[in-house]
Amino acid sequence: MSILEYNGAAIIGMAGKDCVGIASDNRLGIQYQTVAMDFKKIFKMNDRLFVGLAGLATDVQTLDQLLRFRMSLYELREEREMTPRVFTNLLSNMLYEKRFGPYFCEPIIAGLDEKGAPHLATMDLIGAQALAKDFVVAGTCEGNLYGMCETLWKPDMDKEVLFETLAQALLASVDRDALSGWGGVVHIITKEGVISRELKGRQD
Amino acid sequence: MSELTNPAIGADPNAPSGGFSFDNVHRNALLLQRQFPSPHSSDPNASANANSGDRSILPLATKTGTTIVGVVYKDGIVLGADTRSTNDTTVADKNCEKIHYIAPNIYCCGAGTAADTEKTTELISSQMELLRLNTGDGQSRVVTACTLLKRMLFRYQGYVSAALVLGGCDLDGPHLYQIYPHGSTGKLPFTTMGSGSLAAMAIFESDYRDDMDEVDALRLVQRAILAGIFNDLGSGSNVDTCVIRVDGTVTMGRNEIRPNEVGPLRDMVRRSDVLNMREGTTAVLRSSFVGRSGVGVSMADVTVTAMET
Amino acid sequence: MSHQYTADYDAYAGKSAETRHLKPGELSTGTTIMAVQFDGGVVLCADSRVSTGSYVANRASDKIAQLHDHIWCCRSGSAADTQALTDYVRHFLSQLAVETGRLPEVKVAAHLMRRLCYQNKDNLMAGVIVGGWDPVCGGTVYNIPVGGACIPMPFALGGSGSTYIYGLVDAEYRENMTKDEALALVRKAVAHAMARDGSSGGIIRTLVATEEGNVRDYVSGNMLPYGPAGW
Repeated sequence: MSILEYNGAAIIGMAGKDCVGIASDNRLGIQYQTVAMDFKKIFKMNDRLFVGLAGLATDVQTLDQLLRFRMSLYELREEREMTPRVFTNLLSNMLYEKRFGPYFCEPIIAGLDEKGAPHLATMDLIGAQALAKDFVVAGTCEGNLYGMCETLWKPDMDKEVLFETLAQALLASVDRDALSGWGGVVHIITKEGVISRELKGRQD
Repeated sequence: MSELTNPAIGADPNAPSGGFSFDNVHRNALLLQRQFPSPHSSDPNASANANSGDRSILPLATKTGTTIVGVVYKDGIVLGADTRSTNDTTVADKNCEKIHYIAPNIYCCGAGTAADTEKTTELISSQMELLRLNTGDGQSRVVTACTLLKRMLFRYQGYVSAALVLGGCDLDGPHLYQIYPHGSTGKLPFTTMGSGSLAAMAIFESDYRDDMDEVDALRLVQRAILAGIFNDLGSGSNVDTCVIRVDGTVTMGRNEIRPNEVGPLRDMVRRSDVLNMREGTTAVLRSSFVGRSGVGVSMADVTVTAMET
Repeated sequence: MSHQYTADYDAYAGKSAETRHLKPGELSTGTTIMAVQFDGGVVLCADSRVSTGSYVANRASDKIAQLHDHIWCCRSGSAADTQALTDYVRHFLSQLAVETGRLPEVKVAAHLMRRLCYQNKDNLMAGVIVGGWDPVCGGTVYNIPVGGACIPMPFALGGSGSTYIYGLVDAEYRENMTKDEALALVRKAVAHAMARDGSSGGIIRTLVATEEGNVRDYVSGNMLPYGPAGW
């Protein structure tokens, strides 16, 4: 078993029309033993920028702390919010700095850029970026997530359709993965604000 | 936590500034050594052997199972690349960019570990720009880029796994180099790299001629990349090209050929109504809405004033 | 990409000392190289094949590298290591020439190379033949095999293909050959090594270094002096 699969996770980022969504499951396990059902994997960086971290839980929390530190420093120095593009490069460089002793973490970045257009990105554990126009996925049921997203995604979804699509893609995927599940959470980022919803899911 | 002791805020003047950080190496070695007993296995030896021979514990980085090529023609260089990036057998990105910018007159195709090719070319392109500014020389030379790249790759003894095709035009004319991950280089009239290099080389070996014109060279490169896309499983999707001419002009042919377009095929499929999610499909436990706080300044509010020089 | 560069390990089995310890995917100049002294200079000679496992990565490479005006070397072993070595020696020699204000001796070039090879022997896979002309000793050849010894020789052979032609060269070599006799000898010898050794091939490159200058030449793959006379 890969160390990336030690704690289990499922995360999706998805683009809609003038909105973008990010969703994750709630499980924290130690291999097949479930330890917690309310583990946070999606972190708010600012009002229009969220990051999801799949992988080893200790590194998920360490990276969140480091990112918050760097975000705060940037905002104090520059007196403006970090754009998703800058944030993606920041995280990518943080991961590549540890090229030969990486954080075991695959991030997903979802946000609205300065023009209000969706920005979606993912990267591997050493910071190789992949930008997407439709959706990005990460976690222990990556294959399932790809399958659901390829089937359900369509262009120009409004925020409610985007929510339902994200939620259904996530729930269907984690039901066929032993390492993720126990409900989920979805955030829909729009120009007006962020809609956050907790999903009812199987508890096994 | 060397990250939290940034010298810029005066916390620790001895903190490292730049370069690779090996902070996690020892921790990771211990983590990977740890035995993960599988609950599905009744074999007592299974867990003991899990770490020794089992390479799957090591997470895989994204590779660009790749076809990249370059060719010299009468008035310049043509570079080519496919656009598939893979993580193990999963296609991680269906339309990535493998032709990287080094200087206005120099570009570089990358194969190998995606992060390594990306960051190595980024680093060298920044060094080239600084060199141009320091020397006051308007134009970078291809051999300079080649030397910087080979020195960096040789220093890391092949552990930075970037296989590159470097091409560009300078005052001496067109130049094409291949650079291997261990730091060896070769100067050639035509070259291919990556897992699709054999398929692409087959095309070059049969149809390359000295002093081709641009149309023929571009067509040859496209055919070589297509050979990689269709005959090598690690390569796929679209053809990217880049023409660099001795007169200094550059034409990037991003997705010049798209032989694997799925859009029209998907449009032909009648999408089942089941797949169109209606509001209220999902059971929601709790819902909240947080409006935009208005704290902080958006990019749109910042007025940029020119620096006094 | 991964499977190409982590080429099959079996391909390395049974190769010479130079190629056996390469890292997976490392380019090797699995090679035939040689150099011969003659009256007034040296002849250096090499095949042109560079391989990764069983794939020929470059079929027309140049394994004869310049170290100074009249001093050259033939490279064998890891392509990356030998390129880095020659870059260093070239740098030191040009510095030395400026500082002393005269032409460096082949002996000095060889001992610079030897020192780098010996002090970094744990990290290198390089067999080098240094040869050239200098005003003190005339045409001189030094063999620097893997490990970092440095042996002056009237003629030197190196690379995986050399094992096939030691007998041939022993039989045909004579002292005080002319330039043309030396050229004919190295071409014949390397052609025969290329025929028998799988990791040598391509074309034959030669270089003659004398007081007058350096002359490069090559024999293309379809004109090799191989086989019985008059074949």
